[in-house]
Amino acid sequence: MSSRRSSRITDEEISELISKLQSLLPESRRRSMSRASAAKLLKETCSYIKSLHREVDDLSDRLSDLMSSMDSGSPQADIIRSILRS
Amino acid sequence: MQATKSFEQAFLKHLLRGCRLSAVSYKSMSLQERKSAIKLSADVAMASARGGRKWTRGLITKLSKEDEHRSFLQLILGTEYGRLTKPCHGSWKIPRSKKIVRRSLRVCSRRKNNLRAPHGVKSSVLARTLVEKRTHALKRLVPGVESLDGYSLLDETLDYVISLRAQVDLMQKLLTTFEASKLGALSKCTLPERKASFVGK
Repeated sequence: MSSRRSSRITDEEISELISKLQSLLPESRRRSMSRASAAKLLKETCSYIKSLHREVDDLSDRLSDLMSSMDSGSPQADIIRSILRS
Repeated sequence: MQATKSFEQAFLKHLLRGCRLSAVSYKSMSLQERKSAIKLSADVAMASARGGRKWTRGLITKLSKEDEHRSFLQLILGTEYGRLTKPCHGSWKIPRSKKIVRRSLRVCSRRKNNLRAPHGVKSSVLARTLVEKRTHALKRLVPGVESLDGYSLLDETLDYVISLRAQVDLMQKLLTTFEASKLGALSKCTLPERKASFVGK
């Protein structure tokens, strides 16, 4: 199934990687992780990545709203413009 | 685990540049177009600030597949664009045959599962299939990891998640800065109070 490489990756390294990944997941998702299985970890990681993608999407929306206010020639537009220019 | 300071600086620099290019060069952009440009800038900023990982190449390659993105990407990245989109010739052959093998395995197991009665299936087989399914789902979410498995896949995923979190965090900070400057412009004398109430948001 997984590629057979000659590199000697120890069990320790794998479990360290897994616990690092687990520690990144938000608190609310970690509650049932004491009985963590590979499938559970993958599922939680996938849904976390999806939620991060949604956040980026939402922040892009809000930033573009702000950029649009730049066209109005208001004092705040000048401030934003100067920040962008620096 | 966090992204480094140099990552943060490189990210902000690229993002601001992308925002500037999209705000100034394309004044008559619709809100949607501007949003896409900003999102594109943010993704490019994240990939180029991190550099040198499977997912960074995968992301840039994916983004440059759309013609309208390509010119914007070249504008932002400049000379880095060629370096980041150069294909890694070594890895092409193996993944292709692996994909075919995997696909045929999947078809075989599907046929087997259809013939077998549900209660006859061992839980370990089910567990393995679930892991496979979820691994495929993960590969659809993390760019550039199609050919990876096991440790390498998790390693790239970890790196990608750390970078994504930093991306979200920095975009939020940028947004806050812009919004605060707006409030500051409106009422300079009450600025400290306004700032305090804003930080609570």
